[in-house]
Amino acid sequence: MWANLAWRLFRHEMRRGELTIILFAIVLSVSAVLSLSLFSARLQSALTEKSAEFIAADRELVSSKKVEDSWLQKASQLGLNQALQRYTRSMVFANNKMQLVDVRAVDNHYPLKGKVKISVTPFAPPQETDTLPKTGEVWIDSRLFQVLQVNLGDDIEIGDAVLKIGGVVADIPDRGFSVFGNDHLLLMSMQDFAATHLDGPGSRIGYSYFFTGTAAQLSDYDDWITPNLNRELHRWRSIEDDDSAIGRSVKRAERYFLLASLLAIVLASVSIAVAAQRYSQRHFDPVAIMKTLGASRATVQKIYLVQLLLITFSAIAIGLVIGFAVQQLVIQAVADKVSVDLSGWYWQPILMAVFTGFICALLFSMYPLMRLFSVPPLRVLRRDIGANLSSKSIQLLSCGGAIFLLMLIFSGDWKMSLILFGCGILLVLGLIAFTFVLIRLGHKLGQGRISAWQLAWARIRRRSMDNAVQLISFSITLLLLLVVLVMRNDMIGQWRAQLPQDTPNYFIANITAQQLPELKQHFADLNVKTGDLYPLIRGRMAAVNGEMVRTAVSKDDDDTENRGRRGLGREAGLTWLDQIQDGNKLVAGKWFSGQSDELEVSVEQKIAERLDIKLGDVLTFNIGARVLEAKVTSLREVNWQSMKPNFYFVLQPQAMQDFPATYVTSFYLDGQDKALLTQLLAPFASISLFDVDARINQLREIIDQVSLAVEFILVLVLIAGALVLVSQVQASMDERQQELTILRTLGAKGRLIRLSVIFEFVIIGLVAGLMAAAANELTLYLLQSQIFEMESQFHWQFWWQAPLIGAGLVGALGAASCWRLLSLNTAHLLRNMF
Amino acid sequence: MIKTRELTKTVPTSDGTLQILKPISFSIEAGETVAIVGASGSGKSTLLSLLAGLDTATSGEIELNGQRLDKMDEEQRATLRGQDVGFIFQAFMLVQSLTALENILLPAQIAGLENAEQHAKNILEQVGLSHRADHYPNQLSGGEQQRVAIARAFICKPKILFADEPTGNLDAENGQKVEQLLFSLNRESGTTLVLVTHDTQLAQKCDRQLIMQAGQLSEAIKQEAQRVG
Ligand SMILES: Nc1ncnc2c1ncn2[C@@H]1O[C@H](COP(=O)(O)OP(=O)(O)OP(=O)(O)O)[C@@H](O)[C@H]1O
Ligand SMILES: [Mg+2]
Repeated sequence: MWANLAWRLFRHEMRRGELTIILFAIVLSVSAVLSLSLFSARLQSALTEKSAEFIAADRELVSSKKVEDSWLQKASQLGLNQALQRYTRSMVFANNKMQLVDVRAVDNHYPLKGKVKISVTPFAPPQETDTLPKTGEVWIDSRLFQVLQVNLGDDIEIGDAVLKIGGVVADIPDRGFSVFGNDHLLLMSMQDFAATHLDGPGSRIGYSYFFTGTAAQLSDYDDWITPNLNRELHRWRSIEDDDSAIGRSVKRAERYFLLASLLAIVLASVSIAVAAQRYSQRHFDPVAIMKTLGASRATVQKIYLVQLLLITFSAIAIGLVIGFAVQQLVIQAVADKVSVDLSGWYWQPILMAVFTGFICALLFSMYPLMRLFSVPPLRVLRRDIGANLSSKSIQLLSCGGAIFLLMLIFSGDWKMSLILFGCGILLVLGLIAFTFVLIRLGHKLGQGRISAWQLAWARIRRRSMDNAVQLISFSITLLLLLVVLVMRNDMIGQWRAQLPQDTPNYFIANITAQQLPELKQHFADLNVKTGDLYPLIRGRMAAVNGEMVRTAVSKDDDDTENRGRRGLGREAGLTWLDQIQDGNKLVAGKWFSGQSDELEVSVEQKIAERLDIKLGDVLTFNIGARVLEAKVTSLREVNWQSMKPNFYFVLQPQAMQDFPATYVTSFYLDGQDKALLTQLLAPFASISLFDVDARINQLREIIDQVSLAVEFILVLVLIAGALVLVSQVQASMDERQQELTILRTLGAKGRLIRLSVIFEFVIIGLVAGLMAAAANELTLYLLQSQIFEMESQFHWQFWWQAPLIGAGLVGALGAASCWRLLSLNTAHLLRNMF
Repeated sequence: MIKTRELTKTVPTSDGTLQILKPISFSIEAGETVAIVGASGSGKSTLLSLLAGLDTATSGEIELNGQRLDKMDEEQRATLRGQDVGFIFQAFMLVQSLTALENILLPAQIAGLENAEQHAKNILEQVGLSHRADHYPNQLSGGEQQRVAIARAFICKPKILFADEPTGNLDAENGQKVEQLLFSLNRESGTTLVLVTHDTQLAQKCDRQLIMQAGQLSEAIKQEAQRVG
């Protein structure tokens, strides 16, 4: 019977729209979670796929020795695809000339991800290909054609083998980028490699084993291989632990999506809490009546729980549909920019959305419902009696607990959850303190004609304690919107700053001191601006404080993106500078004073850590046949993500005076000017050119895509937030309705009432905005420094913008719903009220 | 039907406790109609709430239909109310989100009675509102709402009916209508009726009148004389 009653009530409530706010809030949270997480899952897989092209696979095992067959068998057993590449640096001879090249021998499964690019003739535009050099053939890059002065079809000597030049290779996915390390590229078939005998004794050959497979297969193999690895010999790389600019951007974006959906959940939760409280209040009478008519507590509970469950189920169903549709729309909207695969299906976001719906619905309405259940039947006689239960601690525990639980489950990140939660708590405490002050601040209704301000102020003060909840919900909503907005601004700003429009896309090296003036003139004539010039010497760090260094400085650096640097062997690029380089930051010691007799060197922080180099240590460098000693006087932090030449060791200029250096510089050519390239370099045959244009474009493209996705998420969250604000204003309007109706009945002018409502909301919005700005500053500082690994800054502009926007927004919304209220006639209002 | 002994009610207030009801002992027989009259604030509603088991007494005994109310917990009292007691209030107390017919059906549904719908329609017919069955309370006038409330009170054939100023919110004409309805239905079903009222005419229609004065209850002289005689 109670089921029948519950159903009747539910149907009616739905029809009258009383439950729609709760329904709406649950729909909002479910659809936000689903669309955000589904979208980010899809985007992530698209971006991971794209980034995977940078290592030509999902996983790469780099080894300085051939690995045991059993390792590869294990991979086959698990169903992974494999490819092999062997690489070394070697001299090649052709046409009576010789040149050091980066030799890559690949089997015919290579590359597992990404494409090899070739040109039809040297310097022709590159195009993707699925083919590889045939047996007996090599492909070399355009510059090598020029340096060796050879043509397609000519012979080239590599080690003991003589092979035919069969093509022009423009790029390979895992080429890497380094200003110093990128030698000319030579791609050949694995089958010819044995004949070169490059792998004889004393040679340095590297092995790259590539793997692709499903996430599950890969993680199984991860687990299996990790204990077998030997740090001295092996390096296990995946795109996920990629610390490159792209890896970081993707990771940061993922965190942002996570943050955004977390905040969307909190937003929805806040509105569920508000709606549930309002709903419960409205049902005090029916509950008292039912109890009077003999309904037991259990019956009442069943009636309302069934309603809640009906709502929850329908809201979740609607939310899933809407969330899916929104996600589909967003993906379609970005489809031409981001190649997102729509076919993949992800269960986790759906489970997560359903789970979120339940948690939100149940935990946030728990306290209001408990209050509702506790309404005594006596209320039918004594109208002033409310609920028997009034335990703020239950409310705080259930709401706070639910929010924290959701954050934690959703992000799986204690730190992020704690930061957001902690800042939220601080905000709430701040607001409670504020409310307290407000109550203390005496300002009684004055005598004589009452003004709108007085009315507004009186209402705020009188309701301040009860409706601190309202202020809190406004502030939290504003805070969350601010966090999402400012975070997005900062993040995209920093991404863009990383790669400004005129980022150099060409590097030239091997410029001799004699060539310098001529080169400068030539470039100036052609109107091409060159970047900073860096002198460069290849040296080797041999000892620290006289103790020989066993491991090489730059042996397969696993902490930089620059895979190409591995070709350097044990050498490092040394430079000398008067001033600290732009974008580097001194973290210890002092820059060269030039006062002391000893030579000084500045060391990059990470390498110093790895090699245990401290300030004051004396480093020994072998440069050619000579030895140079320098004392470490400073440590620098280097932004390896910047597309600039970066150095582990920077020496004092005096130290290097009598070493013959070559110079490195960079320049930027935009699309149309690329034809200039040949003309620019024609007079300087010995100079090496590094074309990083494609790489930069790729980077930029990914960053653009991620930024676009972030924008969409921002818009979604903003919409969600606006809707929550509207429902909050509406709910609080309801609470004011009775009072306004009485004022109206007593003959107060519409203008007075309207103004007083607007003022009231403006004051609330102002306070909420101010508090939100303060909390925002703290939240962002913690998030950026602890989670996003970004530099955080002070956002002073939001300190005045947020209160203004808060006042404007909340005031306008209040005015709008007040308008609606006043347009109804008084009789109608009275009838609905009593 | 109703018996009380030394019934008191005190409530805590900001300045000490307030005794609303001084010790009250009286009894009401089955089928009687009793009016409780008295000044505003004298404690009439409070007494009614105790008799109906809506509130608990501070001390003393109440027996309702042979059962000790003061020994019951809230759940048991609810069951008892559902079975034996009907209510009519000054403020009508209809569930705003249910139609007139649904409001009338409410006690039957709570008690778990099947097929009460026809019965509900009959009662609605008796109170002359069958054409308003699907209307919501806020679409009905005060008098109409009170008639719905009366219909609701009678649907479960209660043994005792409590009414707190049933005509208090109504004009004379509507009050008359409601009054007539109340008494005729009461006669038909032989219900015991306890009503609180300020309306002397209404009070006089009852078998007995009890007068409440600052928390003390006394029998009106006229009736007392009759009864003694
Ligand atoms: N819970 C309570 N707390 C404080 N005072 C109470 C409480 N309940 C009742 N009172 C007081 O007890 C007195 C009796 O109240 P009651 O409602 O019984 O009066 P009444 O006779 O029904 O008056 P009326 O004719 O106006 O309805 C009133 O002064 C009332 O303010
Ligand atoms: Mg009363």
